[in-house]
Amino acid sequence: MNSYKYICILAAGVLSLSACKPSIETPVPTRGSADFTRYIAVGNSLTAGYADGGLYLEGQQNSYPSIIAQQMKQLGGTGNFIQPLFSQDQANGSGYLQLTGFDKTTGAPITAPVTTNLAVTGQVTIPGYGAVTTYAKYAGTDINNYGVPGIKLAHITYAPYGNLNGFYERLLPGAEGTHTTTYLDFITAKPFTFFTNWLGNNDALGYATSGGAGDVLTDKATFNALYSALMAKLTASGQKGAVATIPDVTAIPYFNTVTVAAILASVQKANPAVQALFVNAKSDATAAGTTYAARPATANDLIVLTFPTSKIGTLVSTPAGMLPYGLTPYSPIENQYVLDANEVTLTKDYVTSYNNTIKSVAASKGIAVNDMYTFLNNVKAHGLVVDGVNLNAGYISGGIFSLDGVHLTPRGYAIVANEFIKAINAQYGSNIPLADAASYRSVKFP
Amino acid sequence: MRKILLFALALLPALSFAQGFQVNLGGQKQIGMGHTGTGLAQDGASIYFNPGAVAMLPENSVQAGISPLFFKSSFNPAGTNDVYHTANKVATPFSGYAVWGPKSAPWKIGLGVYTPFGGLTDWGRQWQGKYTIESLDLKAIYFQPTLSIKLADFVSIGGGFVYDIGTVDLQRALPLSDASGNDGQAQLKGHGHGFGWNAGVFFKTESHITIGIDYRSKANTTISSGDAIFKVPASLATSFPQPNTFYASIPLPATTSIGFGFYPTKQWTLALDANWVGWHSYKVLAFDYAQNTPTLQDTYSPRNYRDGYSLRAGAQFKPVDRWAIRAGGGYASTAVRDGYVTPEVPDANRYYFTGGLGYSIARKLDVDLSFEYEHLLSRTQTNIETQLSGTFRSNVYIPGVSLTYHW
Repeated sequence: MNSYKYICILAAGVLSLSACKPSIETPVPTRGSADFTRYIAVGNSLTAGYADGGLYLEGQQNSYPSIIAQQMKQLGGTGNFIQPLFSQDQANGSGYLQLTGFDKTTGAPITAPVTTNLAVTGQVTIPGYGAVTTYAKYAGTDINNYGVPGIKLAHITYAPYGNLNGFYERLLPGAEGTHTTTYLDFITAKPFTFFTNWLGNNDALGYATSGGAGDVLTDKATFNALYSALMAKLTASGQKGAVATIPDVTAIPYFNTVTVAAILASVQKANPAVQALFVNAKSDATAAGTTYAARPATANDLIVLTFPTSKIGTLVSTPAGMLPYGLTPYSPIENQYVLDANEVTLTKDYVTSYNNTIKSVAASKGIAVNDMYTFLNNVKAHGLVVDGVNLNAGYISGGIFSLDGVHLTPRGYAIVANEFIKAINAQYGSNIPLADAASYRSVKFP
Repeated sequence: MRKILLFALALLPALSFAQGFQVNLGGQKQIGMGHTGTGLAQDGASIYFNPGAVAMLPENSVQAGISPLFFKSSFNPAGTNDVYHTANKVATPFSGYAVWGPKSAPWKIGLGVYTPFGGLTDWGRQWQGKYTIESLDLKAIYFQPTLSIKLADFVSIGGGFVYDIGTVDLQRALPLSDASGNDGQAQLKGHGHGFGWNAGVFFKTESHITIGIDYRSKANTTISSGDAIFKVPASLATSFPQPNTFYASIPLPATTSIGFGFYPTKQWTLALDANWVGWHSYKVLAFDYAQNTPTLQDTYSPRNYRDGYSLRAGAQFKPVDRWAIRAGGGYASTAVRDGYVTPEVPDANRYYFTGGLGYSIARKLDVDLSFEYEHLLSRTQTNIETQLSGTFRSNVYIPGVSLTYHW
């Protein structure tokens, strides 16, 4: 039968259809005027991949510099990007927070620290400083990601700093207590062709997260001088790079999750007579001012995420007798739990000044600027939709911030990486492909 | 007091019907001729193309055909070198028609079962748009009892009542990682039904031109209790109550067609068709869940489709009685406005070419083969709702075969 033959031909045709995928031409890779042969990342915890209140292997593997490097690799001609990873046996690094569930009645998240497979080797008391936790030394010799959790710009030329920060100490050869290499010298010891620099956050964040009580803001002029010195050294051989501005500390969930209104509402549920919370607040918005006084809390006072809300209402001893904590002017919420309105104003003023320095120094050197300050403020104000995922600056549900409310989730870091890539491509005419943020996770739920 | 707000996890099951889902595979002879048929009285497929022409059919017939549909789409996310492809899956639109009437009577009755809308798109679970769609399997089967009456030698009318059964199975990832970093999954699965009608008129003019006009009404297809299956980490289970159901109503649009047939010689048939598809009825896609939680809210996604049109032309050549060779082609405009293109149907303006062969195996038995190639014009889009941004390119390959017994 003739038709039989045609059916055979048709069947053969049908089978071959499986192969007919429409082709899409992707752009020809170009590095533009930049050279990505050896890319180094300079920065603090955000650069190291710190997340959930700790530095651990998964966070390191999803650090934004490592994501940027993977994308750069698609252009060809780049070297390996090496990170000082914790070993598989010590994958949990410094330890970190895990979400273990939600409180049945309040819906509040419950977290617990991960305490197994740590890289912690001990604690050393450094005279005149205090206890420093040390970690298993990084065994490799090559490093591309120089992110050191906790480091401030103010530390980069301080020679003994390696003895004070266990995360830096583990990168340095030699024994704890004997280090004399400044961070600036350490990162520039080997030649490199491209850098990202996201230093400066801790110069404001350290003050803010301690409620303005445990740390100080780095002086504006000092910041300017150090940032100029840092950038001069990073660009000494004509290297190109990208810098990022410092986020507004009030844009992060660490300061926006436990609110005065929420605490008050919860107190009033049990005791409708309560009119206000009281905080111990700074009396003026100057760095020099040291006067604090109790006053009723307002929405402009930011309570830190780590505030133990169970303290509210417990009886504490005051000069006026035993009084409920947080509910009277004699028993205010302590300074370290509150970034009060004046402290907020002061911090914002410093961050603005730091960012002006960052932008003007970068402009003078023709370096790309990733404006994370503006980006995260936009996320806070409007949220962000990426590939069908609604993200925002909310704690846990927002998808961007990890369980510590300051550092990011892998998805958050992928978004940061893409912001860097966009800034780099715009500045140098390169076309580093963007990373697929959807393939990186947000907070893990049990 | 450290209450978390999981409320922002908007679940927007982006289910959309589009021109991409109007498969138009009414019959093998008509596919071969570029989907023309409104102005012809070829065979039982007139029940679909123009019930008005059924009474003009010279014979009674029973026929059945199938058109396996290979929808191939590729997506290149903006600013990347990544390219994602849909999996090799085959949708199987089919059609079956029966037409009967006494030889001497001026009327005929018929029954058509056909699948004018349907689609099968599977992007997999690892692609960049997994939170918008992983896979969608959609079918709409129309049943149409039909009556057609020849009013005079030159004009006949016909109409049928349409009952449709729609089934849908949509899957997408939810951005809720479990302890091992795996995504949550949402599946919306159900079937519903709707009603409509199809009516047409058919003229034979003195100048040997045939003309047909047809109107297929909108069929509002309602899924009243589909299964809404959510797989999420255990700590979030209360936010996604199970079992749960959803209600959704989707208008399958009205189509108005006019067609012409020309018969320059005994061996040649030429046909022209124009269609207007009332996609404007598809303004919004709303999902109403039986059980809502602060996290799982009813959704309301704007679609704002515009009407689409298509222009088609085809020819049939019969060198000898037993054989027919067919060819055709056409152009269809997209119903999806810029900003609303979604990956389950990455719709775009499209053109297509078709070819076909007919052969009489025996005196009363015909076999017809058809093949169609559709090319969707490349479309670079950022979806307003999901911000999924990139370039889609799609091709469709549709072989087909049918058997007709006529007497």
